[in-house]
Amino acid sequence: MGKKLTLLTAVFALVVAACGGGAEETTTTTAAPEPGETTTTAPAPGGGDAGAGGGGAEQAGGSLLDTVIARGTLNCGVNETLAGFGFKDETGQFVGFDVDLCRAVAAAVLGDADAVKFEPLTAAARFEAVNSGLIDLLSRNTTWTQSRDTDLGLDFGPTTYYDGQQLMAKKADGFTADSPLTDIAGAVVCTNAGTTTEKNITEASAALGLDITLQTFEDFNIVMENFKSGACDVVTTDGSGLVSRKATDPAGDEWVIFPSVPISKEPLGPAWKQNDSVWGDVVRWTVYAMIIAEEKGITSANVDQMVANPPDGEAARLLGASEDEIQTKMGLPADAFYQVIKQVGNYGEVFDRHLTPLGLNRGLNALWSDGGLLYAPPAR
Amino acid sequence: MTQSRIDATQTRPPLWRNVTFLKWATQIGVLVGLVVLAWILISTALRNLEAQGLSLDWDFLTDPVGIRLGEGIFTQPASGLEAFATAIVNMLRVTASGIIAATILGVLVGISRLSSNWLLSRSATAFVETIRNIPLLIQIVFWFFLMTLFFPTLEVDASGPAPGWLIVSRKGVSIPWLFPTEVFWQWFVFVAGGAWAARRVYRRRIELLEETGRETHPGRWALGTFVLIAGLGWFAHPIAGALGWLFALVAAVIAAIPDFAFQLLFAAVSIWLGARWIRRFLDSRRTPAGLARLTDDDYFRMGLAGVLGLAGAAVFVAIPQITSLITDVAHFVFAFLDQKFDFLRTGVPLRLGRPEVVVPGRFPQIGDTGMTMTPNFFGLWVGVTLYTAAFIAEIVRGGILAVPKGQTEAGMALGLKRSQVLRMIILPQAFRIILPPMGNQYLNLAKNTSLGIAIAYAELVQVGQTLFNQTGDTIQVFLIWMAFYLTVSLVLSSIVNWYNRRVKLVER
Repeated sequence: MGKKLTLLTAVFALVVAACGGGAEETTTTTAAPEPGETTTTAPAPGGGDAGAGGGGAEQAGGSLLDTVIARGTLNCGVNETLAGFGFKDETGQFVGFDVDLCRAVAAAVLGDADAVKFEPLTAAARFEAVNSGLIDLLSRNTTWTQSRDTDLGLDFGPTTYYDGQQLMAKKADGFTADSPLTDIAGAVVCTNAGTTTEKNITEASAALGLDITLQTFEDFNIVMENFKSGACDVVTTDGSGLVSRKATDPAGDEWVIFPSVPISKEPLGPAWKQNDSVWGDVVRWTVYAMIIAEEKGITSANVDQMVANPPDGEAARLLGASEDEIQTKMGLPADAFYQVIKQVGNYGEVFDRHLTPLGLNRGLNALWSDGGLLYAPPAR
Repeated sequence: MTQSRIDATQTRPPLWRNVTFLKWATQIGVLVGLVVLAWILISTALRNLEAQGLSLDWDFLTDPVGIRLGEGIFTQPASGLEAFATAIVNMLRVTASGIIAATILGVLVGISRLSSNWLLSRSATAFVETIRNIPLLIQIVFWFFLMTLFFPTLEVDASGPAPGWLIVSRKGVSIPWLFPTEVFWQWFVFVAGGAWAARRVYRRRIELLEETGRETHPGRWALGTFVLIAGLGWFAHPIAGALGWLFALVAAVIAAIPDFAFQLLFAAVSIWLGARWIRRFLDSRRTPAGLARLTDDDYFRMGLAGVLGLAGAAVFVAIPQITSLITDVAHFVFAFLDQKFDFLRTGVPLRLGRPEVVVPGRFPQIGDTGMTMTPNFFGLWVGVTLYTAAFIAEIVRGGILAVPKGQTEAGMALGLKRSQVLRMIILPQAFRIILPPMGNQYLNLAKNTSLGIAIAYAELVQVGQTLFNQTGDTIQVFLIWMAFYLTVSLVLSSIVNWYNRRVKLVER
């Protein structure tokens, strides 16, 4: 009887949540139980993706780590339209800087960087996807902000890319790389909807008393078409996105990105559902392992030699080549980070693979020892 | 045996075998069940949200939001409420202008499809088949891009077909427009009065025509009356300013009477409405031979009316907030009207504004002196109008074909011209057939405006999505969306239904 009632309630909750969830593909209220245990769960209306359902979140208990290991794949939310960060190539494969973070976490947890089910998400749909349990990890050029960290029920990992919002205009309109923000007075400014950029430009222009017309589109490709035609005078988004657009467009030479100091801080990094410190540790230390590996010169090419012949104790622990390794205490295989470096590479390799070709240089994203902001706590 | 038969007709059956009672008990039981079910659903959902750390608070409606909207009454809304108000006005603008344009175009195309002119009927068919077979979203983006990519760029010296009167550019189309001034409402009283008087005159002339049989020109008389009164009001509108005193008086009276008096008044009205229903019900059962025998069902109905009347009264007495809300709104409305009317306020009610190009910074923009259609509005409006018009054309064609051919032949036999047959015989009858499906198309149009999000038109879905991306209050925004579209749909369909009842054949 009690079981039936719980089931009934769960189905109702699903229906209600599905009504409220609208745009999302899947909306469940709980962390997914083990797939093998879904015996009593009827096919839920609204479509539970991974055998989800049953009870409220209060009974969740286990970590996402257990769920992912049991499932055998990592569900990872990514962008599919931003070249360099998250993009579907000609063969339909997801590639990019953010995509490689998903692959790194899969390599650490499951030993296989390809055990990832990518979930392409729009900017507007991404947070619901985390809260509903559709994805285990969000790695979609997402800015870490106070409200997202607290109010939205997310936890953020270490920043993987320090970005900042800039604007792009045409040289023909008299703009240079040193143009101040006040030059956009009276302009039609276009950006994409559902992002922090919208709020940043509003606040920045309000602070300067600039009157602008702001248009926000779902699809950044429409923004760019209107910018090229002159229907939008200025476009704005994260500096990395502008560089990537400018580099890939034939008319890019006639455009200029300004102001030289970005108008906002955009620390981009992975995010997951809050209050799951076991899972949080796994994601955090996957990123740190990639940074430490770069510090120590461990690359996917030489990692096997490094395991056989570790340069120091820290590298030995991190690669699981020594008895005092800490990975097993985190619930991971001892060679978890070896697999990350072997299959995906260190931070610098991933950056060079996806972002350097776009013309982005390391800048703030250099190692701390090179004057950048990347600084990982020690592995001991 | 005889005795028992008399018993069966004269004594009442026990309650559990009384069909009337069982019927009512089932109804009430189902109602209570539904309420309980809804309560379980809502409280479960709320509990689960609570467990996920998501709360259903509505602070974002009053807090500063820090967003900008592309167009509308508040382009820099100070609060969520202002943002929603802007979005709703924008949405209603597209819906209203779309319904009008789609109806006119759809009727014309529908008639054209039946035309004996080969070229006309084939072009109409091509229009319908093309438009209704392409997804609306694609059409909307197409029209938007048509303007932003292919219209001329906006230049500072706005040359063009009619300098100073028309601007056609990628940033919008601007035309001259008559804008209401501060004395507009005073004049509007005369316009409304003129329309009312014109209607009376029209009916009177029709009566005269029917009595005497000679041509009385009802249309010209009505138009003349309207123009005369509205024209008089153009100069004499300060007279209507005296209404301001009336509104001020009403507002003062509402403010002066304490709320508990209103509470008692509303409670009394509630009881009176219940009692009136019962009295009218009894009247309807009264025959010349005296009151008809009342069935159990009748007693239940009257009981329910009484209970509802008393419950209404109890609610007004128990929850003073409802009463104060009603009186606050009424006071606000009258105080607002008072500001719009002033005996001493003179001037012209309408002002002509001509479009102009302004250069606030480095970029030329269209100034707000004329009536400007942005590319976003243009794309959405043209998209939904053409799409709906294609469907309306098919409905109109079907409606006309459903009128028996004999009607046309009879009309022709009377010596009416083809256009007269269409206007006076066919269309009025076809109208009765096409009205209900037309209502569906209007509802579709209203809901399709939500596709404006694709081209950044600041309608409800676009603004709502921007809001919940900034505040995280997704569920609340979804609730507002659902409530709003439901309200608009219900209002639209009740207008269509009301009109349908008016024009349908009276049957017995």
